[in-house]
Amino acid sequence: MKIVVIQNIQRALLTSARLLRKLSLGFIIAGFFALPAFSQNVHLKGSVINENGSPVTGATVLVKGTTRGVSSDDKGVFDINVAPGDVLVVSSVGYTPLEVAVNGKKALRITLISSSNSLEQVIVVGYGTQKKKDITGSIVTVSAAALQETPSANLISELKGRAAGVDIVSNSSSPGASGQIRIRGNRSITSGTNSNSDAIDAPLLVVDGIPYGGSINDLNPDDIATLDILKDASATAIYGSRGSGGVIIITTKRGKPGKAVMGYNAYYGLSNATGEYKVFNGPQFAQLKLDAAAGNSINPGTNAYALTQAEQAGLANGTSTDWQKLIYKQGQTTDNELSLSGGTEMTQFSLSGGFYKETGIIPGQDFTRYSIRSTIDHRINSKLKIGLNTLNTVSFTDYGGNPVGGLVRLSPLVSPYNADGSVNKLPETGAIDGATVNPLSILYDANAILNNDRRLRTFNSLYGELEIIPNLKYRINIGLDYSQDQSGSYFGPNTFYNSSTALSGANESVANAEAYTYTIENVLTYDKTFLQKHRLTFTGLYSVQKDHYQSSGFSGSGIPADYIQNYNLTLANTITAPSGQSSFSERGLISYMARVNYAYDNRFLLTATIRTDGASVLSPGNQYFTYPAVAAGWNIANEKFMNNISFISLLKLRGGWGITSNQGINPYSTLGTLSTNFYNFGAGTAGQNIGYLVTNLANKNLKWESTSQTNIGLDFGLLKNRITGSIDIYDQRTKNILLPENLPASNGAQSTIVNAGKTKGHGIELNLSTINIQTKSGFTWSIDLNFTINREQIVQLQNPSVKANIGNLWFVGQPLNVIYDVKKIGIWQTKDAALAATYGEHPGQIRVQDVNNDGKIDASDAQIIGTYQPKWIGGITNRFTYKGFDLSVVIYARMGQTVAVPYLTSDGGANGFDFFNNSRNNQIKIDYWTPNNPTNNFPGPDASADKFIYASTLAYQDGSFIKMRSINLGYTISPKILSKAGISSLRVYVTAENPFILYSPLVKSGLALDPEGNGYSGGVTSAVTSSTPVSQRSITVNLNAPPVRQYNFGVNVRF
Amino acid sequence: MRYYKKIGYTYLITFLLIATGCSKLLQEQPRSQITPAFFSTPAGILGGIAGVYSDMRNLWGTEGFTNITLAGTDEYLAGGSASGTWFWTYNGLAAKTDDMDGLWGIAYQDINTLNGVLQFGAAAGLDSTTRNQYLAQAKFLRAFYYFYLVQTFGDVPLHLTFVTVPSQADTRTPIKDVYTQIIKDFTDASTQLSPTPTAPFLGKPATQAAALYFLAKMYLTRGWSSAAQSGDFQTAYNIANTLITNKATYGVDLWQDYNDANKPGNEYGKETLFVVDRESDLKYGERTTGSRASGAKENGTCFFFRPNYPTVNANYPASGGGPIMTRDIANGRPFIRIRPNVAYSMNVAFAERANDSRYDKTFQTTWIANTPNVTTPRGTLRIGIDTGIWMPGYEVTDAQRAAFTGVIFSPSNYTTVMFPSMKKYDDPNRADVNDASTRPFIFAKFSDVYLVAAEAAFKAGDNTNAAAMLNVVRQRAAYRTTNTPGQNAAAATAMVITPGQVTLDFILEERTRELYGECQRWWDLVRTHTLADRLSRYNPTEAYPGFVAGGQTGSTYNYTLRPVPFNIEISLITEGTPFLQNPGY
Repeated sequence: MKIVVIQNIQRALLTSARLLRKLSLGFIIAGFFALPAFSQNVHLKGSVINENGSPVTGATVLVKGTTRGVSSDDKGVFDINVAPGDVLVVSSVGYTPLEVAVNGKKALRITLISSSNSLEQVIVVGYGTQKKKDITGSIVTVSAAALQETPSANLISELKGRAAGVDIVSNSSSPGASGQIRIRGNRSITSGTNSNSDAIDAPLLVVDGIPYGGSINDLNPDDIATLDILKDASATAIYGSRGSGGVIIITTKRGKPGKAVMGYNAYYGLSNATGEYKVFNGPQFAQLKLDAAAGNSINPGTNAYALTQAEQAGLANGTSTDWQKLIYKQGQTTDNELSLSGGTEMTQFSLSGGFYKETGIIPGQDFTRYSIRSTIDHRINSKLKIGLNTLNTVSFTDYGGNPVGGLVRLSPLVSPYNADGSVNKLPETGAIDGATVNPLSILYDANAILNNDRRLRTFNSLYGELEIIPNLKYRINIGLDYSQDQSGSYFGPNTFYNSSTALSGANESVANAEAYTYTIENVLTYDKTFLQKHRLTFTGLYSVQKDHYQSSGFSGSGIPADYIQNYNLTLANTITAPSGQSSFSERGLISYMARVNYAYDNRFLLTATIRTDGASVLSPGNQYFTYPAVAAGWNIANEKFMNNISFISLLKLRGGWGITSNQGINPYSTLGTLSTNFYNFGAGTAGQNIGYLVTNLANKNLKWESTSQTNIGLDFGLLKNRITGSIDIYDQRTKNILLPENLPASNGAQSTIVNAGKTKGHGIELNLSTINIQTKSGFTWSIDLNFTINREQIVQLQNPSVKANIGNLWFVGQPLNVIYDVKKIGIWQTKDAALAATYGEHPGQIRVQDVNNDGKIDASDAQIIGTYQPKWIGGITNRFTYKGFDLSVVIYARMGQTVAVPYLTSDGGANGFDFFNNSRNNQIKIDYWTPNNPTNNFPGPDASADKFIYASTLAYQDGSFIKMRSINLGYTISPKILSKAGISSLRVYVTAENPFILYSPLVKSGLALDPEGNGYSGGVTSAVTSSTPVSQRSITVNLNAPPVRQYNFGVNVRF
Repeated sequence: MRYYKKIGYTYLITFLLIATGCSKLLQEQPRSQITPAFFSTPAGILGGIAGVYSDMRNLWGTEGFTNITLAGTDEYLAGGSASGTWFWTYNGLAAKTDDMDGLWGIAYQDINTLNGVLQFGAAAGLDSTTRNQYLAQAKFLRAFYYFYLVQTFGDVPLHLTFVTVPSQADTRTPIKDVYTQIIKDFTDASTQLSPTPTAPFLGKPATQAAALYFLAKMYLTRGWSSAAQSGDFQTAYNIANTLITNKATYGVDLWQDYNDANKPGNEYGKETLFVVDRESDLKYGERTTGSRASGAKENGTCFFFRPNYPTVNANYPASGGGPIMTRDIANGRPFIRIRPNVAYSMNVAFAERANDSRYDKTFQTTWIANTPNVTTPRGTLRIGIDTGIWMPGYEVTDAQRAAFTGVIFSPSNYTTVMFPSMKKYDDPNRADVNDASTRPFIFAKFSDVYLVAAEAAFKAGDNTNAAAMLNVVRQRAAYRTTNTPGQNAAAATAMVITPGQVTLDFILEERTRELYGECQRWWDLVRTHTLADRLSRYNPTEAYPGFVAGGQTGSTYNYTLRPVPFNIEISLITEGTPFLQNPGY
């Protein structure tokens, strides 16, 4: 069954032509087209709802071919006089316009399908708005309704698989986790840490016009009205030095004139691990120890990790403890949002309060957020308008600990409890790891474990808008953003996370961080239509922004009592200020921007922008950089020659080019840093000094990396926009990429950062929305589909002669993130013992490819054996509505990438899974080699080995997957029933999130639970290249909290 | 209309805020990191100097660097656990240019820091006396590094300004110009530094005395070199003699007893000219305890010269009987890295041991029993009383052996792991036998000033003064606390040499006697162009074959320069003139 589904999905995603054909058939069956009828006016009362059953307020209802029309009220209801044969054209921003034949009816219920392709839809393009029809860049819009189909703690999780060109990968499954987001892939070649690479290649977020940094968890997704994702450089160049990663513009909900509307959105969810990491059970673990003894390559037949007395007893009495089951629990999620909005023509307001709480499946992990938000818009007079938006959140995150790695290691042959029912404190007593404390200590010692963060965020934006003269508007936006984090931890002794036995071994820490940003933007807009056909919009900007961040943190060890936790570090035995915990940075940005939009006759469109950014982080003389962009569009459908081609309702060709940057240079980088050391002149304290050395050279000439991108796109609408979509192809070239360059040591420092690297990328994106079936009986079936192919490549490293940097896994001509190692081709089998011996190996060990056939395995046999770059990604959302019922099904696919699973390997050092396959500890259940099991999957256990040669090759696995992201079934109760209760709409729904995985070779193999990954880097050192073939920014599958399957029950009520 | 006004005012205020803020918005003010501009403050200038001193801990006292200074010479052979075998044999040295990364990289890193101090430090708000003294420290250290660079690598890049623009090009400066600069810096330092250590530069950092010593040695070295100028040797002699004449001014002098110069606790004493400091404080001493865990900057000299005494068994030379000695603080941690080249050090340099006390004061001869229940075939050893192992330094008779309860190691019994133990670096004040030394590394001693003067006088043709200078050192070496004054006087008389006895060999042998193990030998032989000759005479099997084979055929300068690091220097010079490797590598 699964396979069939998979094939269908693949086919659907890949062969759009066939899909279109099927759809056309569907339209004919649906009998959609209206029949003409005779005129005799009647009074028609109707209601407009969306596919979720919520009323659509302010929808325009026009009699086709006339100027007669009305709008729907706040309950979506309208009255109109029509002739029985009239056709009504119903439209509203954010929805696909719909034509409905009256057919003599006196009452109509009209369902509008939300659409990202409606021509009149207003798109926020940054420092202004434009109608969809005038857009020349590559912009995709995601509505709040779509986001709500996949309820989550934050926006990033909700966006997965929802827009072409937007690639999101998890990096954790703990509560409140978000993920790594990339628009059109990576551009920068970074080493450094994940957060560094996120800062460089991640998109810029803009909330209500103000750039938004910091945690995405500070934004309650319920407050979001729409997302406009600016993808190509012609659209993002207005954000200059911050535009190269794309821009996500978030517009929050605001009040509308009319009666005050109160809304309540809530859901409650229960989550469970989708599974446990599969480990050996009791008898299998005992067998592993026997096999490891047999495979002992130093003292054959012996095992230093033989079963303890307790384990032998456990084996005899059938003990097989499932440690994971003891610890994993059911998680709960609750989300509540109460809102009130409304206003007069002069003043509109909205208020909302939210409460979100998610507890994880690992004890001690949870995330709680309280949010309060309000907006006010006030028109002082015909020329002047002001407004305020304030978003405030307080969030509490308990990170707990990560017990999974430890749980997997525990012997299944011992019981968690003693015979008298008490907790067996040291279950592995007698074994080499006998100090391990029972993981049940996580549950019972509430005071012993603390690891949390309390965060306050207040994000405010104030604007004033003045019409200086007709068509010329001046707007000022002032943003003030402040956040503060207080975090800390305490890990007491005698717990699973800290096996020391005395309070002197306790570890505690506290840290504080605060950040603030102010932004002041002055925007001048001139908008005028000349001679009817020439429409000109000019936007000018002058803005300043300053970001401030500072933090401090201290750690201690030893504490008088567990309950002190980290509340008073002066009671600690020792206190340290770990490096990196205390920091300060400020950066300033001054920007000028001008944009001209010109449209001729609704057919020809031209956008030209230029932005200049001055940045404090660069040296004087290099601080300013200018970003030009130009784009053109041609509304082909508006040409006369298209009038006769009735099945095409929209056809627009767009093309653009622009230059953008990322802000990959940290403050003070160009000033140089002195490193510190210590020295004593003489023996007394008087001569003790802190010393300073110049160990890295500042590069005063640093400038931004810059990306030039060309985009060509086609927007289309067929069959009266029942099929809409867009195709974009792009090519991007990034140069001046910051790279560390080794210097001749005689410079006084051995490396510096230079602008040297080059990368390129190209790709294709398809967004397609179709209304497949729309019957008179109210049944609709629509599909939103997106599909992305992105290819990245390194073009140049430090200089043209450098073709590879193996240490950093950079190879000219290859994707930015690759795996470079020897390639496992199997396990040496008994019959090949002689050949194995020539390589210094024996049967049961990993056999790798001798690429150059020189009879030995060395660095020259290493090859690129995989990339973290997916071949394609896609998402498909099917929506069905029928008589108040609505059903949406979201499927998300990411195919063709390799992932690294470090816990299937060990390098004998700090990386991988220590003592993998030597039977010291339990481990993931693998199909390992023995003389009687001549598998090619995993090597034979060896009790004497703390590492296996070429073990790193075991980590690389196929990370492809197709996941059922969510199934959301709702029912909207008829307004007739509700109106007596003062309720204007009520929808109840159930959602299944991550209900099942449709396709994943990795999960199917039983070696992992989630192919999406849940951590950064962490690979193991290759035996031949001496480097870790998993780059710092690669997302890997680690032994972290298992993924969860969640079922939600929710309501949306409006009063 | 009131609204208009209010809004108008708001705009006006906002604009003013922007206008006043903008000029500062693009200026950076770091607060959580120290930038090079810090060198223009009093704390920064001192910190830069301290930072360089601290960085020297990465070289002097470490194993790799000790190898570079001693291995492959006439005085030493590789111990049983020696590292860097290519330095001992010269075999495969060409492929080990990375081993020179430490000296090359640290020297240039420190030189650049010092250039920063000198460049920014002039603006530091210090009174001129203090500032000059601080800057003189920087000049001294810069000259010090160039002195070692040029002796080790020949022509080297000469940088005298703080590097602000990284470059992929660099060129070698002829040694002549490097020497000129070194002389200039040492000359400045010799007048601007304080004559004796004064706060904040306590202990034995650079002083006028140290600067004069290095200046004399610099002239001496240049006199020997291809960049020699006439009068170099005489100048060297004059400077050394000035230092000797004015030793009271500089607070330096010889101890009466040679032993006191290397005695723990005397590191800052009158004979010490210059140290690389260490101390017991974990933070400022930059050390760890227990197992020398992160010993990159720790002083390991107390380990390297020790034989493997804990493995000598009670039944020696037969097997069995258990170890006589247990590793302890007094006898030290045996690293077995460096052993004396008996053929030269014992049989030539330290051959005379009756009047010359230095053999006894350089080598450990007895290991007092420290292990319970050790019984040799000749009896049970009493802890703290009996000698468990005795290395008399000469052959003994069978009867002597039979009469001695412990085990005797005579020269014929020496092996690669059991050999005379050099004791100058002993540190009895460590807490744990595995701890590195907390003693400062003594870099230069006042006695060397006499040896420099002697060598300079000899090269200037003045054997009389050469002999006079040598005799000061030699007569002091005759002194033993155990002697009567009469015996000491007689021994001192016996130590006197005549001008006719002064030869280059004699001077080099005197240096061995006076400075054995003090991390100068390789440079001494290179300076005096005697490396090839002395290896052929005294180290014909371990070092000489590789030394000859590796160098340019027929050259007398085989491997007399170390290789410039390939990976951190030569291969990275991608612009401008290619940077050529030294001959033979």
